[in-house]
Amino acid sequence: MDIRKLKKLIELLNESDVAEIEIKEGEESVRISRYSSVAPAPVPTTAIAPPPPAPAPAPAETGSAQAEAEPALPEGHVVKSPMVGTFYRAPSPGAKPFVEVGDRVEAGDTLCIIEAMKILNQIEADQAGTVAAILVENGEPVEYGQPLFVIQ
Amino acid sequence: MDDLIPLIQRLADGRSRSGTQLARELGISRTAVWKRIQRLERLGLTIERRPGHGYRLTPPLDLLDPHRLAQTLSRRSHALLHDIEIHPSLDSTNERLRRRTPWPGPLACLAEHQHAGRGRRGRRWISPFGANLYLSLAWPFPQRPPALESLGLRSALAVAEALEALGTPTLRLKWPNDLIAHGRKLGGILIELDGEWGGAHQVVIGIGLNVHLPPQAARGIDRPWIDLHTLMGEQRPDRTRLAAAILERLLTLLEQMQHGIDDDWQRRWHSRDTHLGQPVRLLSERGEIHGVHRGIAPDGALLVEHHGICRPYYSGEISLRTPKAP
Repeated sequence: MDIRKLKKLIELLNESDVAEIEIKEGEESVRISRYSSVAPAPVPTTAIAPPPPAPAPAPAETGSAQAEAEPALPEGHVVKSPMVGTFYRAPSPGAKPFVEVGDRVEAGDTLCIIEAMKILNQIEADQAGTVAAILVENGEPVEYGQPLFVIQ
Repeated sequence: MDDLIPLIQRLADGRSRSGTQLARELGISRTAVWKRIQRLERLGLTIERRPGHGYRLTPPLDLLDPHRLAQTLSRRSHALLHDIEIHPSLDSTNERLRRRTPWPGPLACLAEHQHAGRGRRGRRWISPFGANLYLSLAWPFPQRPPALESLGLRSALAVAEALEALGTPTLRLKWPNDLIAHGRKLGGILIELDGEWGGAHQVVIGIGLNVHLPPQAARGIDRPWIDLHTLMGEQRPDRTRLAAAILERLLTLLEQMQHGIDDDWQRRWHSRDTHLGQPVRLLSERGEIHGVHRGIAPDGALLVEHHGICRPYYSGEISLRTPKAP
């Protein structure tokens, strides 16, 4: 694996709130973790941010309060789920995932599939960039509007 | 593939024709006829070869008739549909429409045969030539319509009602969108959606309906199935009429969804639900849930009651949970 790529990944991790990432490229795989393997990583217990408070008359203030309450994501463009369903990273079980952290994507590239009731929703990148974070595990349920990917 | 169509059209009625006769009619050699017959068999057709009689297609086929389909569709459907494609063979009708983006408007696509027919999550949809209905409908929503998640259920309901209007016995529906008759699967629906959060959404509704499945093609199906031929015998409508009736209902549904019209579909679904009120097992990637099927939510979710609490579920496969014998 390219050492520059590893360095870039470590930088990405440091800039983000992601505790650990694992990357597989063919036979090789690497896991980068911010925390000691002995102590459990302080991962937030809920993946879903609490619902935002009702609109307040002072939007500037609520905006900043909300930003503090939500877990910080890596800088970049957040791709959200357009529906409630199950998150799949590959077109079928056992197939190669559409994207991995660090991949370059073009606008229109498929990032994942959200399935609900046999409706398969192909989520595409709406802008080009590098996949900085994948925020949901394969097979996990997702909510409407839940952040899925960060693209830088 | 297209060169096979004249041969199929001559054999479709199920009567015997000799190799010599076919060669003369098609303007090709008898060896070429023989080679084409082999290709037909690879498409899943059964051809009897009897010495002295020639070739015979069994069962006979009713091919899709583009002209009659256009005549059968209402003026309203013609106004909605931008185009209807009918192909002898495709990878899959859904794929074909997805490749045609950006769509100029709603599009329909039918094929006599699919060589890569798909079900959910990499499953194959057995698609022998002329035996079933493989139909897809593409619809561009300018904005995400309310309760878009319910589209699969409402599509299955639309197909069931279209078939019942053509004289099938009352059909049952199994969440999320299987068409069931006598406890066996008659058809399925796979919907593919492209959309941005808060933006336009493009949907393709793909329908696979078993019409007259040859037994040797059905060997590849690993669950109980049934076809319209078994249900209705000689009374069954031809495939062109089926296609027109299904398109008609689906177009109405999509128009209603686009305008946010709820046509009391939950009540109509509930009256056909295979498992309503029964103890069920919901199997998904996340594990197994046991409870009682309490109905369908407005967004199509399955409501399962477990220890007195009713929760909505959005994916998984339901089956009847039979109480263990004492």
